[in-house]
Amino acid sequence: MPKLTIDNLEVTVPEGTNVLEAACALDIAIPHFCYHEALGAVGSCRLCAMMFTDGPVKGLQMACMVKAQDGMVVSSTHPDAMELREHVIEWAMTNHPHDCPVCDEGGECQLQEMTVAGGHSKRRFRGKKATFTNQDLGPFIQQEMNRCITCYRCVRTYRDYCGGTDYGVLGSRNRIFYGRFQEGKLESPFSGNIIDACPTGVLTSKPFRFKTRLWDLQEAPSICPHCSLGCAIVPGGRYREVQRVRAGINRETNGFFICDRGRFGYDHVNHPERPRQPRIGGQPVALETALDAVRDRIAVLVEAHGPNSIAFLGSSRASLEANALLRDWASAYGSEQLAYEAHQGRDYAARTLAARVGGHACSLGDLRQSDLIILFGADPLAEGPMLAVAIRQAVRGGAKVVTIDPRPVELPCTTLHIPLPASRLPELLAALGSGDLSAFDAQERATFAPLLDQIKAARRPAMVGGADLLGGQGIAALCSAAADLSTASRAVGVMALLGGPNSYGGALLAGDGPGFDTLLDAIQERTVRALVCLESDPFCEALDPARAQAALGHLELLVCIDSTPSLAAQRADIFLPSRANAEMSGSYINNEGRLQEFLPVIDPGLPIKVTGAGDHPPREFFQTTPGSAPAADWWLLAKLLERATILAELRKTMAKYDERFSMLSFLAAGTTGLRLPVKVALPPVADRGLPHADGSDNQTLLATTGPLGSHWLAHLSAPLAATEPQPYVCLHPDFAAALGLASGDRARLTTRFGHCHVEVRLSAQMVSGLVLAPQLWDTALEGLAPGSLHDCRLEKEARA
Amino acid sequence: MTELLPQEQIDSFKARAAAIAHPHELIVDLLRAIQAHYGWVPDDGVLLTAATLGVLPIEVEEVATFYDKIFRRTVGRRVIHVCDSICCWSIGAEMILAHLQQSLGIGLGETTADGAFTLLPTCCLGACGDAPAMMIGLTTHGRLTPEKIDETLQRERAAIAAEVAK
Repeated sequence: MPKLTIDNLEVTVPEGTNVLEAACALDIAIPHFCYHEALGAVGSCRLCAMMFTDGPVKGLQMACMVKAQDGMVVSSTHPDAMELREHVIEWAMTNHPHDCPVCDEGGECQLQEMTVAGGHSKRRFRGKKATFTNQDLGPFIQQEMNRCITCYRCVRTYRDYCGGTDYGVLGSRNRIFYGRFQEGKLESPFSGNIIDACPTGVLTSKPFRFKTRLWDLQEAPSICPHCSLGCAIVPGGRYREVQRVRAGINRETNGFFICDRGRFGYDHVNHPERPRQPRIGGQPVALETALDAVRDRIAVLVEAHGPNSIAFLGSSRASLEANALLRDWASAYGSEQLAYEAHQGRDYAARTLAARVGGHACSLGDLRQSDLIILFGADPLAEGPMLAVAIRQAVRGGAKVVTIDPRPVELPCTTLHIPLPASRLPELLAALGSGDLSAFDAQERATFAPLLDQIKAARRPAMVGGADLLGGQGIAALCSAAADLSTASRAVGVMALLGGPNSYGGALLAGDGPGFDTLLDAIQERTVRALVCLESDPFCEALDPARAQAALGHLELLVCIDSTPSLAAQRADIFLPSRANAEMSGSYINNEGRLQEFLPVIDPGLPIKVTGAGDHPPREFFQTTPGSAPAADWWLLAKLLERATILAELRKTMAKYDERFSMLSFLAAGTTGLRLPVKVALPPVADRGLPHADGSDNQTLLATTGPLGSHWLAHLSAPLAATEPQPYVCLHPDFAAALGLASGDRARLTTRFGHCHVEVRLSAQMVSGLVLAPQLWDTALEGLAPGSLHDCRLEKEARA
Repeated sequence: MTELLPQEQIDSFKARAAAIAHPHELIVDLLRAIQAHYGWVPDDGVLLTAATLGVLPIEVEEVATFYDKIFRRTVGRRVIHVCDSICCWSIGAEMILAHLQQSLGIGLGETTADGAFTLLPTCCLGACGDAPAMMIGLTTHGRLTPEKIDETLQRERAAIAAEVAK
């Protein structure tokens, strides 16, 4: 631990820290561009110069390039250092246009800050500035190359850190240009990070352009609702709409970056069809009337048919507080009909994980340090994109990655892919755990035996599973294998990709309660007569949507609390509008058991762009904001339960009665969150397994989550919806050849949901003999619950 | 001259790329081969290089646009690189450049109407001892004077005429 003196202040820092980081630890602000905690130091911007006056290093040095050593005496305010910085920033500014008043970066321009901090104020360069022709980089990124100061941060972020392959640095000297070989959309699913990385207005958000000056934007720390990883985000809102999202910093989860689904998926909050009014039988009513109606009608049913005639369905996108209140509500009636995820495979996977993972749980931060990562039925780009970036960092540190999956699994790094049918994944996990591979044939043994050796030799191995393909049984096998392969000196880490941002929270609350399919049976048999849906849509999210829709038709009462125009919201007898997570406080538990808080950015209301229809909003005066009826999900439930509608009170009560939530009161937004104590929950009920094909038709279809189009909230976001694919299927080339299909062919896909036209894609990475199709909302493929198998027929169509 | 590079050369580069650990090393060689054969490197030349060596198109483009001796636009039959670096500048490079521009009737970065010459500035030809210097094709011409330039241009014009006649 070297101890050094910077600006007459002593500081002791860990071995390997550079002097710039040591100065930052002392809150000494040194201008810098190229140094970034995630990207490292490269010493190219020459801005962090400091004078080393005594000790092992002497003279004017770039602080980021010097490792802190004992006895160093450093000055950040030495006249030579100040003068150098002034010249360097003047130099960086020679070609920079003076368009600050109209620049999209205005308000958060680091270049402006560094220029002021560097002491440069007067332009001396009289020559012509370099100018460029911008490229169209697609719907997300706006390029304005004239503002570029060639700091290289975008390329280091896009290519080095996130693994993009279509963006680079062209030219030399003052002709340097950052862009693509040819114009077009940036292909990386992490492209938006270059918006955050760019210190000035070269790369800005296209959907956010011309919406708000940044000092007018309201921001608050939040948690991304688009997958189970719980990445830190900072949404920004104004004019009663969420207008953008930038990455938050959480070194235990996402680090400094987020995926494009998280960044451009905010627009569900502003969806034009979002239901904002409480309704009874489709007619708008006052909130109190709707709340009374819920209480009264449920009371009547309980009176007539007993408490178990009421079923409750929470969700993985509702806050932990609301889900907990839902449980309290069910137990207040004495109902045992409570489930937390309509997709039973995901539900059991989450519950099994929460019960079994124990001390093996590993965070994205842990994964970045792994030396061996094996993915079993997990497709990070679809099910948790930032996991792919974390895996890439492990690979950059020397890790090996193996993916075992029936699907092709693309990752932004070198991997070994082993195709294996989903049904055999638990079998493989059990075999790896016991070390007995005799159930596999000789060829498979030759593949898996070295894997076993690799796991045993690895120092920080991690195993990753996907809820969609593994289900409860698979996750149980994953946890067992990890336990079996752990030794006294090192544990095997476990991470599972779950259904939603709060799947883990729902799993803790569900315990050994019934799965949603059991509830559906009860609805079918009319023992359950009313269903309360908390931000869930059983019509679409159930493993078998057709069966769910048939059963749900028998309900006497459907109550729905939601912030989206879901089918359940449309069909509800009583509907209560809730807030999106950017509009409320609450907490989620991510897929590793990390409890994290989010804060409201804006209050709900019809966006000004709607009320004003592009012009000044109407000059009318009301006591309330139009469209402001949505309330926080926990607020609505507290009302229904006639409890105090104060979040701190609700949390205190939760912490008091459930020790697993004892940390809720210590929660703070914008921090790393709190890892739940390792506590074994009740074992979940036996997994019923995923619906399987009955072999009556020609081919078997495996439904899966796609990178885009399969996620309900993201699908409701206009910037993302524009990039969603048309229906497609993916086949192994051999299988496609047997069916007479080639890449790019149009085909007719027949399932029990009907016919559909699809494009044929080929991948040699997948299991042969299988038709792979993504669930795509608002297409003929929307009924394909990820992880389910279906009989199908695929026929070639003549090209149009 | 429609093909970018003869197939046997492409195959040879493929074989060499497969035999080495870093095929990126061959980007410059392959680009120069295309340029020697085709005259310059069009977008398809970048894509051909990427496909032949198994590297990304953007990686090829980064190299192609970095070097001023790789031409990503059409050029004349002879490219004149005039040094504008410190040694040449201190001994009259500006005068040399002015004379070249005047006798060719073009500015920097331009090509004569007959497609014979393209004039480009370059930073240091490594001929500081013979400053002021320029390079035509792969031949360096040092200790330039207006007379020497006129003589050289005349010789090149004659050579071009002979090429065209063929």
